[in-house]
Amino acid sequence: MSRLVEKRTVDMQVIGEWVEPQSRVLDLGCGRGELMGYLVQAKQVSAIGVDLDFGRISACVRRGLSAYQGDMTEFMRAFPSGHFDRIICSRTVHELNEPAGVILEALRAGNKLTVGFVNHGFWKNRIGALLRGRKVRNAVYTTRWHESRPTNPLTIADFEDFCREKSIRIVRRAHLLGDWRTPCPALPNLFAGYALYDLARA
Amino acid sequence: MTDDVQAPPAPSTEPRHLAAGDVGIVRPRDFAHPGPFTFKSGQTIQGFTLRYETYGALSATRDNAVLICHALSGDHHCAGWHSESDGKPGWWNNLIGPGKAVDTRRFFVICINVLGGCQGSTGPSSTDPATGRPYRIRFPFVTIRDMVNAQKLLLDSLGITELHAVMGGSMGGMTAMMFAMEYPHFTRRQVIMASTANESAQAIAFNEVGRQAIMQDPAWNQGEYPRDGGPRVGLGIARMMAHITYLSDAGMDRKFGRRKRGSAGGEAYTFDAQFEVESYLLHQGQSFINRFDANSYLYITKAIDQFDPARAAGSLELAFAPVQAESLVVGFASDWLFPPEQNRAIALALLRAGKRASYAELATDLGHDSFLLESDELYALVRGFLERGEAYAFDFTI
Repeated sequence: MSRLVEKRTVDMQVIGEWVEPQSRVLDLGCGRGELMGYLVQAKQVSAIGVDLDFGRISACVRRGLSAYQGDMTEFMRAFPSGHFDRIICSRTVHELNEPAGVILEALRAGNKLTVGFVNHGFWKNRIGALLRGRKVRNAVYTTRWHESRPTNPLTIADFEDFCREKSIRIVRRAHLLGDWRTPCPALPNLFAGYALYDLARA
Repeated sequence: MTDDVQAPPAPSTEPRHLAAGDVGIVRPRDFAHPGPFTFKSGQTIQGFTLRYETYGALSATRDNAVLICHALSGDHHCAGWHSESDGKPGWWNNLIGPGKAVDTRRFFVICINVLGGCQGSTGPSSTDPATGRPYRIRFPFVTIRDMVNAQKLLLDSLGITELHAVMGGSMGGMTAMMFAMEYPHFTRRQVIMASTANESAQAIAFNEVGRQAIMQDPAWNQGEYPRDGGPRVGLGIARMMAHITYLSDAGMDRKFGRRKRGSAGGEAYTFDAQFEVESYLLHQGQSFINRFDANSYLYITKAIDQFDPARAAGSLELAFAPVQAESLVVGFASDWLFPPEQNRAIALALLRAGKRASYAELATDLGHDSFLLESDELYALVRGFLERGEAYAFDFTI
């Protein structure tokens, strides 16, 4: 497996441990259904994914998964509070138009919300930006600015500030070093390359 | 449903009915149910006939059947050709055939003309055995559930133990939904395209104008008209108007624009058809009256308008509660008759009811009739849904 492919599996490993077997899971920004497929196989969850792209929905359907093409906030609004045991927002949060709105709606429609994101406060990103004076590029964000979609990069400190401000309860966190495998022992905003949070209503 | 979404096949020296991927020459068959059949209204008829076609072979385990459900003006002829000189193939020929999205090498495909129809199945124009005269408007009121119950009797007679899938667009989507609700353990998958779980006031309004065009034509005569006569003006107008609702503004603009017919002068002061769209609609109306019975049109549009499982059950989630099928709902962005929101509502209600359901939406400019579209994306989606089931081998390709 290439390094990038290896990094793609980090969510499967960590979220796979957090997800309760046979629970009802919603994956926001499900892509082609890699994570859902894994959770269905490993944890026998009943899963539904939401994405905007027809081809990705079609790919999910082809691999036997359920997926819904449309806006994730509108989708969640169609469900009663606590309908989902867990909502997953893995590597999507930096692409949302209104991240606070999505997160708060997910904490209503789901009992737990798992968020995974690349920490842009990671020291390599800081140094890269400082020394090169260019948009941060790394193993995950490989493209130059003019080849990239609009993104809204965030750091672990940003995210923790947000949770505190909105009184969101952090049930669990996982901070991983630049290899996205080894737990980060200290100063996560500087030394963690990837962060996962398990959130619940206060 | 319109007749001509698909472009005419490219000229070829190869006979069209022998083209690769086509089911070839097909023959309709009749199923006769000899016993009494009671409608949801409580009315009963003494037996009925359903005309149907099948393609492919039923497996030894009798579990590879795919039921195709037609729309308002469609029929049982959904693939293949009726003769070597046939002008055009069945209405979903682009989707159904050996190697196609609904692969007849794999599936036993069945399509049945609905009860109340006029293409060979028992309907208002059929002879009432009790009187020896056509039923006309003495035919019982037909609902989507009646259509489904009658089709189930046919499927039972073929020895089919479960449907691998039931699928259809527009009214065909309603029929599919009804199969999944009425016969949950018989229906393993449903594909619902460009459909609705309850029509909007606007859609009912269009159907009512069509019915009034028929009923206010003096030749309708309370439904009592000879086989070769009847409200041809009214039915033609109903069809012309309905046809507009199957297209979209952008699609019509692309197809016709403001182009005028070759013979029409630029400044001719006449009420004759000048624009291409006018003569197109006139042609659609004229060809329809030669193949469709006006009373059937009244009955089937009423069945569509009355379809409202949520009202009957209290909510759509309750209506879907018995469903066992996995569902695929497909909406089309330019469909303003049964718009994407109404298709989303079906998928969301299924999900709220705890069912497995997917929703996909295609951006096309063909309006309601987009489900007949030649689209590799649509084919891949349908094929993926029908053929999935084997344990998925993981790959991590991006």
